[in-house]
Amino acid sequence: MERLAAKNIFVTILFACILFLNGCKTNRSADGKKKVAVIISTLNNPWFVVLAQTAAAKASSLGYETKIFDSQNNTSLEADNFENAIASGYDAILFNPTDADGSVVNVLKAKTAGVPVFCMDREVNSTEAATSQILSDNYSGCVAIGKYFVEQMKKKGKYVEILGLVGDNNTWNRSRGFHSVVDFYRSLQMVAQQSADFDRNKAMEVTESLLQAHPDIDAVFCGNDAMASGAYQALVAAGKAGDVKVFGFDGAEDVVKSIKDKKIVATGMQFPKVMATTAATYADEYFKGKRDFPQKMPVAVELVTQQNVNEYAGYGKKDSTQK
Amino acid sequence: MKAAKYVILIVLMAAVAYNSVYFKKLDEVKASRSAKQFNAAAYAQTFWTAKLIPNLDKAIDITQLTTMLSTNAPKTFDTYSHALGIGNLRYFLVKGKGTLASVNEDDVSILLQLDTSRQILTLATEYIFGNAIRDATGLVNVSDFTNTMDFNNVSAELNKIIREKVLPPFKQQAKKGDKVEFTGAIELNKEHLDISKIEVIPVRIMSNE
Repeated sequence: MERLAAKNIFVTILFACILFLNGCKTNRSADGKKKVAVIISTLNNPWFVVLAQTAAAKASSLGYETKIFDSQNNTSLEADNFENAIASGYDAILFNPTDADGSVVNVLKAKTAGVPVFCMDREVNSTEAATSQILSDNYSGCVAIGKYFVEQMKKKGKYVEILGLVGDNNTWNRSRGFHSVVDFYRSLQMVAQQSADFDRNKAMEVTESLLQAHPDIDAVFCGNDAMASGAYQALVAAGKAGDVKVFGFDGAEDVVKSIKDKKIVATGMQFPKVMATTAATYADEYFKGKRDFPQKMPVAVELVTQQNVNEYAGYGKKDSTQK
Repeated sequence: MKAAKYVILIVLMAAVAYNSVYFKKLDEVKASRSAKQFNAAAYAQTFWTAKLIPNLDKAIDITQLTTMLSTNAPKTFDTYSHALGIGNLRYFLVKGKGTLASVNEDDVSILLQLDTSRQILTLATEYIFGNAIRDATGLVNVSDFTNTMDFNNVSAELNKIIREKVLPPFKQQAKKGDKVEFTGAIELNKEHLDISKIEVIPVRIMSNE
């Protein structure tokens, strides 16, 4: 009987301790600051490094404790990052998803835990999960590239399109924007359309094989700048660099330089710093009580050509100031 | 006793199976899905007649705008420009009068009527693309759309109206020396402003010899 009473007392004390410790759990860091997690698809690509570092720096400047989590392009690692961020009491997540469909569940997990998620650059295929999604206006950027493409090609010629990851929304928004203009011109003939997964080396291989099948092409339109660089390299190797016009998308540093050197014709300049600072600012506004955020906020993409390239640097304008 | 257990188990399984599967006509499913889909063409047509055309009177005179941009560009952008998203590309609703200086393959040049100087402006007749018409009035709200492609398609449908309804009668008759009066939208980059290359996407053009 005594043993049973002692056991009951022990269980009661244990239960009280658990309750007490749970009550002690706080969303604040040691110095009382709210915490903002920056979860990024990959830090293996300099473009995403700029996105992550800018988001963290802006959140930090707004007075929040920040930490960057690298998902290494792996959705399950991204799930771990979300679980860690939620368990560690982060108050908001600035998020660059690895997969438009696969990442939805992670965002919903945060939403259930009461943690707002602000997507940057890449979207998730749900309008109910994230608090807001700040995205490059890929479609309109490629409308501008498409118009310039038609002008440069004088409305006729043969071309190939090299697509990014076929499962990525950005791939198709870019392609649709481009074709919404180019397909008006029947004398512009797309002889091949192939994916190179946004990868420079793959784009080089794809272009090499496409050149064997279609040696008479006049242009290559690529879904990002890494692939445009790969395509250009293949054209140089084939001795056709001067004859075939290459168009990219991103505003990567090396392609901006290639446009200056008249190797690549044009690209669409995205603004990772604008997206990152907007996401951090939205999180700040959320903490202060704002709730009516637009579900999708487009960020303008600007056409960079050999005529205006001197006004631009990699990832933005030379004189760009963050808002 | 064992038999009763089996009966309960079977009843339970039957209940679960019954509630797990249901049948609906494919036509009904398709119809409810298409009802939820955004109709960009209908939205564009309503916007054109109910919002854009009634607000054309609010367009700013292009010569007045260029003068203000030359003197105080940031204030002029803040006062007169609109855009659905964030960034440097901003849109203005403009109007003007002038004389057709040339009729080209992809556009027409208009010599604007000014008291003291000459200003040549381009009015697009071939490349009717982009978001100028959708955004210039500031009457389209990004929060009205949940999908990115919806607001992209609105631009495409508005541009289609211009391509199919506004331009054909004008292009048929346009010739050098005609007097023209136009209202339309322009895109300008507020970080890198170049007012020497303004191109108007027309919404309304009136011309006479």
